Amino acid sequence: MTQSGASVPVTRSSVRSRSSGGSSSEVDPREKVKACCRKLVEFMFTQVGVGGLVVCYAIVGAFAFQHIETAKDPKWEVEWHKAQTSPDHNLKGAWVQLAAVKRLTNLTANKLWDVTSSENVFNITTWKKSTDMILHEFQEGIVDSVKKGYDGREPEDAWTLPAALMFCLSIFTMIGYGNMVPKTTWGKVATILYAVFGIPVYILYFMNMGKVFANCFRWIYRTMYECTTKKPSIKVIELENGDTVAHPRVIVPTTACLWVISGYVLGGTIMFAEWEGWDYLDSAYFCVTSLCKIGIGDFVPGANILESRSGNQTKLVINFMYLLLGMGLIAMCYNLMREEVKVKMQDLKRDMRKWLEGLRIQSCYGKKKSKRYH
Amino acid sequence: MERKRSSRHRQRYRKRKTTCDKIKDFIREFIAFMFSNVGIIGLVVGYTICGAFMFQAIEGTEASDDREEAIKDIHSARSKTRDRLWEITQKFNVLEEEAWREQAASEVLKFQMEVIDAINKGYDGVDDVKDLSETSQWSFSGAFLYSLTVITTIGYGNVAPKTEWGKVATIFYAIIGMPLFLLYLSNIGDILAKSFKWSYAKCCLCRGCGSNRDSRSVSPENSVAVQVPEIIDETDEQYEESHIESTLGDSVKDDTITVPVTLCLAIMVGYVCGGAILFSKWEDWDFLDGSYFCFISLSTIGFGDIVPGDQIYASKGLDMSFIFCSMYLMLGMAIIAMCFNLMQEEVIHKFRSCVKAVKNCCSCSGARDDDVDTAPIE
Repeated sequence: MTQSGASVPVTRSSVRSRSSGGSSSEVDPREKVKACCRKLVEFMFTQVGVGGLVVCYAIVGAFAFQHIETAKDPKWEVEWHKAQTSPDHNLKGAWVQLAAVKRLTNLTANKLWDVTSSENVFNITTWKKSTDMILHEFQEGIVDSVKKGYDGREPEDAWTLPAALMFCLSIFTMIGYGNMVPKTTWGKVATILYAVFGIPVYILYFMNMGKVFANCFRWIYRTMYECTTKKPSIKVIELENGDTVAHPRVIVPTTACLWVISGYVLGGTIMFAEWEGWDYLDSAYFCVTSLCKIGIGDFVPGANILESRSGNQTKLVINFMYLLLGMGLIAMCYNLMREEVKVKMQDLKRDMRKWLEGLRIQSCYGKKKSKRYH
Repeated sequence: MERKRSSRHRQRYRKRKTTCDKIKDFIREFIAFMFSNVGIIGLVVGYTICGAFMFQAIEGTEASDDREEAIKDIHSARSKTRDRLWEITQKFNVLEEEAWREQAASEVLKFQMEVIDAINKGYDGVDDVKDLSETSQWSFSGAFLYSLTVITTIGYGNVAPKTEWGKVATIFYAIIGMPLFLLYLSNIGDILAKSFKWSYAKCCLCRGCGSNRDSRSVSPENSVAVQVPEIIDETDEQYEESHIESTLGDSVKDDTITVPVTLCLAIMVGYVCGGAILFSKWEDWDFLDGSYFCFISLSTIGFGDIVPGDQIYASKGLDMSFIFCSMYLMLGMAIIAMCFNLMQEEVIHKFRSCVKAVKNCCSCSGARDDDVDTAPIE
């Protein structure tokens, strides 16, 4: 019941739009031009505009996060010096752990010196034992710091523009790799707000792109279909479709969608494997988990780019486009598959109804007969 | 004679069939209910548990080998550092403090790099091989949370498969599990939305001075609900269907109970805040971290920088925080689906009434243009 209730508005709106399209073609030329203009504006707003909006949103977000995460207080220098000796300071974000590790390193060096000067140099066993203890403590401290988010990089190095861009993409597409995370309080708040506004924008993009890609793909499929098959057969098929679906459309089979998606994943696999030096399994794993929005984050393509500070921007842009396009393709497949499932369900319903009617007629026939004989 | 017997036979057959049909209908309904509501929850939970066992089997053994290797690596790095320090001590003696300090500091830095490298490769701070089995990340609860984060597409990434088979299994597990979870979301979201709407209508609207809105709005819902089972029995199906559609249409057009958007938003914010308070008590986070974690999880972003329960991954058995965490995630996603369901309804309702108002306005003035009115619905 709920399923049919949900689908009611969708079908209604689509019917209306179709009728509006039909009626606009019959009016006089001025109206036609007007309609054309309106359509153009609509198109700009819906497809290109939304794509632009998403890209702009990502870029703005990248700059904002870069600013928030790398911002230094005016008293930063003082605090930084203070933090190297004592644990009470007012540093924020990534600087806390950087200072902690630095402090730990200094402390370890001092302890080592103490051991060396106090123990006799000739007593090798006790020296080695105490040194081992100190190093072990040091190691545990480092592990603790890493668990709290230390990665050995200062914020300025970590938050390059490409990395921030990937971070923004991972927020609003809900992938969430987690290799880059905000560490300041304001960064966390900004992330929440950015997601709250970004996710709807992204969903808008997702829907629009899905529709556009679905239409394109349908058109391509249809032209290919018409090229490969003879003309009379098309007419028959279109008539059949006209009967069943009430519009002469070629329904793209689900398998075709799956082929497209697997082709896209394969292409991405090869591309990332070549660029990042991963093996093919890792690369496929990355592509699937990214396109499914899982985003486990043990493989992130940005990592290599970040290491080469020269800033290979084109690779990054291609990565960015790969992910956005892939999301659009998935939306397309979702669109097409839903259509096919709907058509199949309609067929099934009709068949069921016919079958039920047949059953009823049979039973009525049987009832009448039995009545007659009683 | 022959005819008579056959008809009698048929009659008997029919009688038996009707009782049979009743049972059959009942069973079918029962199965449908199981499949739609309780069954789907069971299915998701069962699938997750299966996944947990599978990942535990795949990753558990292999991962412990890797970790032993990592521990050995770090031990050797430490002893090497110590030896080099000894060499430095012998070389400079205690007399040259400055030179000694410089060299020692560089050694410590080198050791630090090695430790960080090892951590990146999977070392997790356990120093003794004996403690490994107790602190495996792939305990049952850890593997369960991993499976859950895969099918919900949260993907924290604090636990990630390291073996080849684990990666392949993750891919296929996700491909099958995600549609299942979406089914769960849409079903449970629907049910929650319906029951919430019902309780909202009962509690909020009835008390509020009995406006005509609620009296009209509750009844069509009920009538629809009653009429649904009749389709099967009634003979004139076409009529019945059209009738139902008309009542449905009426109820949709005139007045469904739509829960206001603000209430939905309040529920979502409340759920996040409640989770934040609970988690911050449980895990010693501050409130911001708690709400950040809840938001990032429920929006399925899942950075994984803040993850509940190191004890989840450490402990072998089922402990409360593990159960609570997975319950929180599964329920939270259903509640968010519910809120979106309700909000969508409300927005469509508002939009429709707006369109109607515009249409009325246009028809009054005489200039009627259906295209303009209806186009924005798309």
